[in-house]
Amino acid sequence: MTLTDAELERYSRQLVLPEWSGAAQERLRDASAIVVGAGALGSPVATYLAAAGVGRLGIVDEDAVELSNLHRQPLHFTPDIGVNKAASAAAKLAFLNPEVQVEPYPARLDERNAEAIVMGADVVVDCSDSFETRYVVNDAACAERIDLVEAGVLGFSGLVLAIRPGESACYRCSFPSPPLAGAVPSCREAGVLGAMAGIVGAIQALEAIKLLAGVGAPLLDRILQLDGHDMGQTIVVTSRRDGCEACARVPVAAEAYH
Amino acid sequence: MSTLDLTGVLCPLNWVRARLALEAMDAGEELRLRLDPGEPIESVPRSAREDGHDVDVHGDWVRIVKR
Repeated sequence: MTLTDAELERYSRQLVLPEWSGAAQERLRDASAIVVGAGALGSPVATYLAAAGVGRLGIVDEDAVELSNLHRQPLHFTPDIGVNKAASAAAKLAFLNPEVQVEPYPARLDERNAEAIVMGADVVVDCSDSFETRYVVNDAACAERIDLVEAGVLGFSGLVLAIRPGESACYRCSFPSPPLAGAVPSCREAGVLGAMAGIVGAIQALEAIKLLAGVGAPLLDRILQLDGHDMGQTIVVTSRRDGCEACARVPVAAEAYH
Repeated sequence: MSTLDLTGVLCPLNWVRARLALEAMDAGEELRLRLDPGEPIESVPRSAREDGHDVDVHGDWVRIVKR
């Protein structure tokens, strides 16, 4: 085992899990994750991934911390107002776990830079707050064949889907087109409770850890829907869609390399 | 056979160390642990049994045969 004494102590409460192992911990340590968005979902996601020992974390966010963010984005504190969110998150994560290498990307992920940002990562966790970005992240992860955890939260409802491009349904398979403009209110219009985003983000982090460590059964081809009003949970089974613009050609392209 | 002196190592870190040692061993191999009285000698053998290994306790020594 190449885990240090400090690592054994830091991760001891997960190393004693029957489902866990030294090998699983080393897989996390050798892994790289990209977290798109350091807001309401990105705060718990980045916190739990760093705390669990994911070796390299890239945090992508171009926005600055605002006073109205703080009720739902617990990686940012009142003195951080005006500071770039990726930088603010990276500073906290360095205190939380100095064993982890955190790289802030103070940029907006878009079609031009998406594949360059996610390239080489083992998992992408989409914590963005717009449908437009979600499709861009999904398409880039599919093109690069990188595991992806999608999620969304609005009001008291949340949704999580894990994706293994070429093997399970991608976001575009399940949601071929964005909702009509105006059909779904944006976060800004609809509001969200911090604790609800925290639940959804924690589930996202767990899914990413399961994918990286190879433990448990990730939400592949299964969309988890949560209702925070009554804690109702629904699993909606989904499947790959023939001719999906994002992932239909993924396996063919992968085979072409062999 | 491997031996680990885990006296002075608290729960659950003693079990973490034992578990990682077992992980690196082949089935049927034997691991001997020395443990403090009290919680360690009560708890570590139970954890090893729960993981399916054969466990004998002799005083402050525990003999584990990997499943």
